Amino acid sequence: MLNLLSEQIKDSKEPLQIVGRESKLKTSTNKKLSIADYQGIVSYQASELVITVKAGTSLQELQQVLASKNQMLSFEPPDYGNSSIGGTYACALSGSAQAFRGSLRDFVLGIKIINGEGKILSFGGQMMKNVAGYDVARLLVGSKGSLAVIAEMSFKVLPKVTEATYSIEMLEDDAIILMNKWAATALPLSACAYYQGKFYYRLFGKHDKQQAEEVDNKIWQTLNPFQTTEKEFLWRASVPSTTKKIANTVAIDCCGNRRWIVSEHKPDLAYVEKWEKGLAISKSVKHPAQIKIEQGLKKVFDPHGVYHNKL
Amino acid sequence: MLKVINDLLHNLPTGILITDKEQSVVFECDGLSAYRQLPLAVALPTNIEQIKTILTICRKYNTPIVTRGAGTGLSGGALPLEKGILLVLSKLNKILTIDPLQRIAEVEVGVRNIQISQAADCYNLYYAPDPSSQIACTIGGNVAENSGGVHCLKYGLTVNNVLAVKILTIEGELLEFNQSQQGIDLLALINGSEGLLGIIIEVTVKLLPKPPKAQLIMAGFADIVECANAVTNIIEQGIIPAGLEMMDKFAIEAAEAFVKIGYPLDAEALLLCELDGDETQVRVDIEKVSQILKAAQATSITVSTNEKHRLDLWQGRKSAFPAIGRLSPDYYCMDGTIPRNKLAEVLAKMAELSEIYNLRVANVFHAGDGNLHPLILYDANKEGELEKTEEFGQKILELCIEVGGTITGEHGVGVEKLDSMCSQFTAPELETFHGIKKVFDQQELLNPGKAVPTLNRCAELGKMHVHNNQLPFPELERF
Repeated sequence: MLNLLSEQIKDSKEPLQIVGRESKLKTSTNKKLSIADYQGIVSYQASELVITVKAGTSLQELQQVLASKNQMLSFEPPDYGNSSIGGTYACALSGSAQAFRGSLRDFVLGIKIINGEGKILSFGGQMMKNVAGYDVARLLVGSKGSLAVIAEMSFKVLPKVTEATYSIEMLEDDAIILMNKWAATALPLSACAYYQGKFYYRLFGKHDKQQAEEVDNKIWQTLNPFQTTEKEFLWRASVPSTTKKIANTVAIDCCGNRRWIVSEHKPDLAYVEKWEKGLAISKSVKHPAQIKIEQGLKKVFDPHGVYHNKL
Repeated sequence: MLKVINDLLHNLPTGILITDKEQSVVFECDGLSAYRQLPLAVALPTNIEQIKTILTICRKYNTPIVTRGAGTGLSGGALPLEKGILLVLSKLNKILTIDPLQRIAEVEVGVRNIQISQAADCYNLYYAPDPSSQIACTIGGNVAENSGGVHCLKYGLTVNNVLAVKILTIEGELLEFNQSQQGIDLLALINGSEGLLGIIIEVTVKLLPKPPKAQLIMAGFADIVECANAVTNIIEQGIIPAGLEMMDKFAIEAAEAFVKIGYPLDAEALLLCELDGDETQVRVDIEKVSQILKAAQATSITVSTNEKHRLDLWQGRKSAFPAIGRLSPDYYCMDGTIPRNKLAEVLAKMAELSEIYNLRVANVFHAGDGNLHPLILYDANKEGELEKTEEFGQKILELCIEVGGTITGEHGVGVEKLDSMCSQFTAPELETFHGIKKVFDQQELLNPGKAVPTLNRCAELGKMHVHNNQLPFPELERF
C-alpha cells in the first residue's frame, strides 16, 4: 500500500490533503490522500516495551492490543471519536499525564514516512537509545500533514498502572500552588487538574488513605479531550505551571501547564491557540528566523509543495 | 597572520582568543583521543555578544566553527578543524534560575551536569540524566549529544528532560525552541544535533523530586541467557527499574579483582537492578523482583542493606572500564544498541568473532535499554593488532544493525562512526539530513564533516582507544 501511496504522490498534479480517520476538524477541500486504510500492528514485543504501528490504526485498537499485555500509551492521547494514531502524532496530542510521564514526542522511537517526492524513508528505530542522525522521528511530531505522510511509528510503551483519582474543593489559585508543591514531592502523581471549583489529582501504585473524596477516573476523559458547549471561542494556552488564575479559564490541566480558556478575544499570552475539535486553528507568534527555518524544512521534505497543509 | 585571526583579535577583548600553540594543545581532542587536531585558534567567549562577533567574522571569511563544552564526548564530535575556530563555551557557566515550585532550572550552556543537581539539592530536587562524565560534562554538550546515563530506562534521555533551549543561529539570531510551541518539534531536533545546527546558549531543564529511597538487588546466573530472560521477565511484570545493568563473566572477574566487594565469581552473568521511589513501593518491587530472579534460576541474590552497601555494589559496575583496562595494554569501547531479546544471539556471535580474531572481549550492558558496551582487549604495540581490533569492532556494529539495532546508543556519531552511518541509513535519508543542515547553516560552517557522512565519502572509522588504561579524562568514571 505504501508503494501505491508513493505513486499517487509522485503523479499528483494538485496539492494533496493527507487525511486519516477524519475525527478532527476538517479544514480543507483539497484532494485527499487517505491513509485510513493503512492500519494494523507491524510488530509488538511487550518485553521490549516497543510497539510499531501503522498510521491509520485507531487509538482504540492500539490501546486494546497494549492492554492485552497489560501495557499502555503513557501520553494518554485524546480520542475525538475513532481517532487514528497517525493523526494524533501529526497533531502532537497528549493528555493529562504529560507533566509527569511526558508527551507523545517523548515516547516516539522511530518513524517511516513518505516525503513529498514519494520516497519512503525511515528515521530512528525501535531502540530506547539511538543517537545516530538527526532526530527526525521527533521533529515531525506536530507537522500536521505539511511535510510528509507519516506511515508507521514506533513508540515506547509502559506497563499499565492502577490509578485512583481524588478531588478537593478549593480556590483556583490555591489549587495551582498545591499541584505544583505536590509535584515536587515523592507522591506518585500521574495527573493534576482544576475543574469546576475542584482540585483533581490522580495517584498510581500503592499509597496511604487520602484526605480527599475518591472520584471516578473518568474525569480525565472529560478534560482530555476537552470540549466545550459554550458559544465563545475555546483557547488552549501553554503557560508556566505556576501561573496564577487567568480570566475566563474553564479548566486547568497538565499540572498547571495547560489552561483551557473560553472567550471571544484572544487571551494576551505568549503561547495560546484557538482550538476546535482536536485542532489548533490559530497560531502563536514566532520569530521570523524560526519561520524561515520551518519553511526551509518544508522544502527539504516536500520540495514541490505536494502536501497542502502549511506549517 | 591570517585575516580572520587578525579580525577576531581586533574585535574581541584581550584574552578571549588563544592563537598560541602551547595553550591550544589542551583543546586538540575530546574524549576520543585517537583523533587530534590543532585548530586555527581557540575562542573562549564570556558572553553572547562575543559569540555573535565571532560568528559574524567567521561568516565573513568562510571559517568553520567547532563548538564544545568540556570536551568529554567519546565520538570526536568536538575534534577541532585545522582551518577552523574552536569555540569553547565553558565560561558561560551561570545558573540563571532555579524555580523549585515550577521545578525547572534555567542555566547557561557551560554549566556542568552535576552542578544543576547540586544547586537543586536544597529543594530536594535533581536533574535526572546522569552520563558517566557528569561531574565534568556541560549541559550544552549533553543537549548536543542527547546524552544518556544509567537511569535512562526510567527517567529518559536528555531530550526528555529539556524544556527549552536558546540557540544562536549561524546568522547570529537568538532563537528559543520550547515545548509550548505549536508545530514541528525543533527543540527535539536540536537535541543530538552534534553542534551542526546552531550554537546552544541557554538550556531550561526539568527538575524531579529526589526519590526518598533507592535499593539495589544483585543476582548471579550460571547462564547468560537465563540472566537476559530475567531482565525480560522483570519488565514483563510491569516493573521499570531505575537502573538495570548486566555484566558477563569476564567483566565480573575484572571488576571483583579491582574493587573486591563480593561479586559472585562463579557466575556467568551478573544482574544489577536498582529500584527507587517511596518506601512502600520499593519494598513491594524488591519483593517482586526477588521472586522473578529466583524463578529465573539466579544462583545468588543480594539485596543492599543500606545506602553504603548499595553504592558499594554499584562500584564494581562503575569500575568495569578501568578494571578491564588493567588486564590489557589497550582496550576499545563500542556503543551499539540492540533489541534486548537479541542479546543471547549477539553475545554468542560475538564469542565466535572473539575466537576468530583471537581477541578477548568483555561485555557490560545497559540491559534495560539494550545499550551494549563491548570492550575489546588488544595490544597496540603488536603489529596488526589495532587493525584487527577495528575490523572486529566494525563486525560488532554490523551485527547490531543486522538484528535491528543501532550503531550508537549514547556516544554519538562525531567523526568516529561516519562509516557506520552509511550502513544504517539509505542515500535519500542521508540527503534529508544534509538538507536539514543546510536550512540552518547554508555555508556549512558549524562543525562541518561531523555526524553525517557525505554520500560519496565515508570517512575512515576510528574508535575509543585506551592505551595503558589511560583515558583522556582519567578522573571520570566511565560506565
